[in-house]
Amino acid sequence: MNDRLTVLDQRPQPGEPRHYDFPDFERTRLGNGLTLVRAHVPGRPLLQAQLLVRGDAGGGATSEEPQQAGVTVLAARAMSEGTAVRDAVAFVEASERLGAEMGAAAGWDSLALHLEVPRTHLAQAMALFAEMALQPSFPAREVERLRDERINDLRQVMADPRRRAEKAFSSVIYAAGAPYSRPAGGVEETVAPLDRDIVAARHRGLLRPEACTLLVCGDLAGLPLDDIVADSFGAWASDTASRAAALAPDRRAEGRRVVLVDRPGAPQSEIRIGHVGTPRRIDDFHALSVTNALLGGLFNSRLNRLLREERGYTYGVSSGFEMRRAAGPFAVRCAVESDVTAPAIADIMAELARVREASVEPDELDAARDYLVGVFPLRFETSAQVADALAGLIVLELPDVELDRYRPSIAAVSVDDVRAAAEAHIHPDAASIVVVGDVARFEAALRAADYAAVEVVHDDGFEPDAEV
Amino acid sequence: MNDRPRVRFSQHTLANGLRLVIAPDRVAPVVAINLWYDVGSKHEQPGKTGFAHLFEHFMFQGSRHVAKAEHLAIVQGAGGVLNATTYFDRTNYFETLPSHQLELGLWLEADRMATLLDAMSQDNLDNQRDVVKNEKRQSYDNRPYGSFYEKLMAAVFPPGHPYHHTPIGSMEDLDAASLEDVAAFFRTYYVPNNAVLTVAGDVDEAPVIEAAERYFGPIEPNAELPVFRRPSFAPLVSLRELVPDDVPLERVHVGYRCPAFGTHEFDALEVGTQILAGGRGSRLHQRLVRAEQTAQDVAFFALPLVAGSSIAAGWVTARPEVDVATVETMLDEELRRMTREVVTDDELARAHALIESSEMSALSHMDEVADRLSMYTTYFDRPELVNEQLGRYLAVDAEAVRDVCTSVFGGDRATITYVPRTPEEAAA
Repeated sequence: MNDRLTVLDQRPQPGEPRHYDFPDFERTRLGNGLTLVRAHVPGRPLLQAQLLVRGDAGGGATSEEPQQAGVTVLAARAMSEGTAVRDAVAFVEASERLGAEMGAAAGWDSLALHLEVPRTHLAQAMALFAEMALQPSFPAREVERLRDERINDLRQVMADPRRRAEKAFSSVIYAAGAPYSRPAGGVEETVAPLDRDIVAARHRGLLRPEACTLLVCGDLAGLPLDDIVADSFGAWASDTASRAAALAPDRRAEGRRVVLVDRPGAPQSEIRIGHVGTPRRIDDFHALSVTNALLGGLFNSRLNRLLREERGYTYGVSSGFEMRRAAGPFAVRCAVESDVTAPAIADIMAELARVREASVEPDELDAARDYLVGVFPLRFETSAQVADALAGLIVLELPDVELDRYRPSIAAVSVDDVRAAAEAHIHPDAASIVVVGDVARFEAALRAADYAAVEVVHDDGFEPDAEV
Repeated sequence: MNDRPRVRFSQHTLANGLRLVIAPDRVAPVVAINLWYDVGSKHEQPGKTGFAHLFEHFMFQGSRHVAKAEHLAIVQGAGGVLNATTYFDRTNYFETLPSHQLELGLWLEADRMATLLDAMSQDNLDNQRDVVKNEKRQSYDNRPYGSFYEKLMAAVFPPGHPYHHTPIGSMEDLDAASLEDVAAFFRTYYVPNNAVLTVAGDVDEAPVIEAAERYFGPIEPNAELPVFRRPSFAPLVSLRELVPDDVPLERVHVGYRCPAFGTHEFDALEVGTQILAGGRGSRLHQRLVRAEQTAQDVAFFALPLVAGSSIAAGWVTARPEVDVATVETMLDEELRRMTREVVTDDELARAHALIESSEMSALSHMDEVADRLSMYTTYFDRPELVNEQLGRYLAVDAEAVRDVCTSVFGGDRATITYVPRTPEEAAA
């Protein structure tokens, strides 16, 4: 044996943790009401700018008319397809000449336009970015191509078990007609009638300078940012578009359901278990983050240790709260072999109950807290990551100190805090169950388990209540 | 400030042959630890394929001081993230940790390099073989067009060539592997004189050298490390395969042999594939996806392989109402145009600008900086390429693009066409 290898017998102790601060940022306002937020990140010459329609201004899919569901996502995708000044090809080429990447995306809570460009080209790129934001031409041919691509994609959802399960889960936990019961990109019936005029009208209604924030992040040293922004966005005048009405997107369905989507011959069952969760702005956000990490966030979480390591049912299982301005879903997700579907569900239900009923062990609490505190700086290496974090604050209307207080708040979470957060936010008795798989192999076991009446859906048939 | 960030680094070699690259960067209190083993699927012998990838799994099954599956738990519990990948030319293992956990990361890597075989058992071998088989089902077999990679490599590189098989290997070979076969593979290749360790981030040079010496210094080198010999083989002869499969749309895949990664010809080819298919302004996208609307998507790229030659490959997925032969004709026309005319100054300028942004983006991630330093050291013993590569792309001119396209796309190729299975074929 090699005696010198005894150095490996001792696991090293950590050194002294180094201090980390999220980059400072500064907020100013232009004469037309546009808010400018800048964050200087030294050593990051590739800059990221984002123009956000703030969440309080109804910027995302939440505020669209129900019969036009999907119009915000389509408008975002079509914005970089040509402007009043140049067509789609000329626009892409002008952007490429600057080494820039431009586009837009919409979610439930916001519409966000983004620009990534080396700092040496910021001035020219910002002018082009403003052209896309303020003068998109929405050519009919391009809008229709993107609309058809979206419809093709919706059809492909039905063939993909994972996406099929997500679609069913949203429609099961939210009330019929509630925006969150459907995808943010809309469904075929609402997307098919969309055209360039409807898309252009949605864009006009959303983009007003006083409703928007422009973020610029990266190495800004020596750049005349105020002049650059004023040249591109200073002349943007507000029109008097009416403010979108705020709807309640998160109305929950009555009672729990068990819905099985039949895929005869499927080798695996895609399982979703959960219920309507919580909005992002809650007092116990940090306790709930730690609770979820130890329940189903870490590799060594309770759920993964049991279902993967002990039982061998799955390649991996996770839990998560999707936090929006309103209450997004809480879900446990995994794929298991068909024959262990019912026992896997029983195990998951038992873990959801246990985290409420008994205090967690100090070492699992430590691992969860240390993980969340430790990876925090890894999340903000690039200009784009810093911009995304600031966009989150703006869209969700969180206080400016939110990122600075994250690590101390996580480190302070106690055993009792975890128990209280679990009791407040995790409700196994109210959890619905969706399974996409070979129903014949687990239907009887799930009827016997009696969580709720079992509903079976056959996608190819014409079930009257098959809308899940 | 200088807009092309330069990576500062130093290079050292321990007495046992382990090469060490250290790149201090204080932007954030994190450290990226990256270990490249100069062993990939190209080193595997016929009948024993898939071993390098199998080790990517074994390396998380424990070692003398780390229990099964504990590696991942230790790294996450310390506030870190990790991964590992297997490729034709090499295998890499890496973690990013808060910088005060530097020694923990080095210790974990040293423990598995020094003592992995302590934890290896028949049970472990059986268990991980099953995991790999599930991975193959999930990533290749049960995925639309999932078999193209294996088919294309096998077609472009003949049997016996080290790139003929992909890293996942043959399931029959894995089934036939004995514990002794697997242990011998480990003892041969997972040794300090066959590895490069890079530490990048919030560290000082001297303590890293000291800690690396302390943990890795005692590990014995392999005095009989095999020398990889570049194969010689006959030129590619055109071949064509039709694959009825469970796919939604028809798609044509093509593959050509091309110069190896590290040559100036390869740099020129990468600029060429950027012009051909790199994004919404590229030739194939503009013509097939946007103007003529015959394709759902297009792709074209060259794999960075170093053993003598590499592969340039691409595909076009036809729209539902379009015949796959139509899009193949259009692809051929565009490839031929790359060999006949020089690209325009504007196309070249756009490609250079996009490549420059993409390099800037890559170097803002500490784990990517570490990975590139390991890569250039493992392949070429030249970590300074991390700062030179962008300049090499920007030096490529239109003639160089045309010349490499002429030699590559003017040669023979493999063509693999996927078509949806008929109901009768599906039932068979």
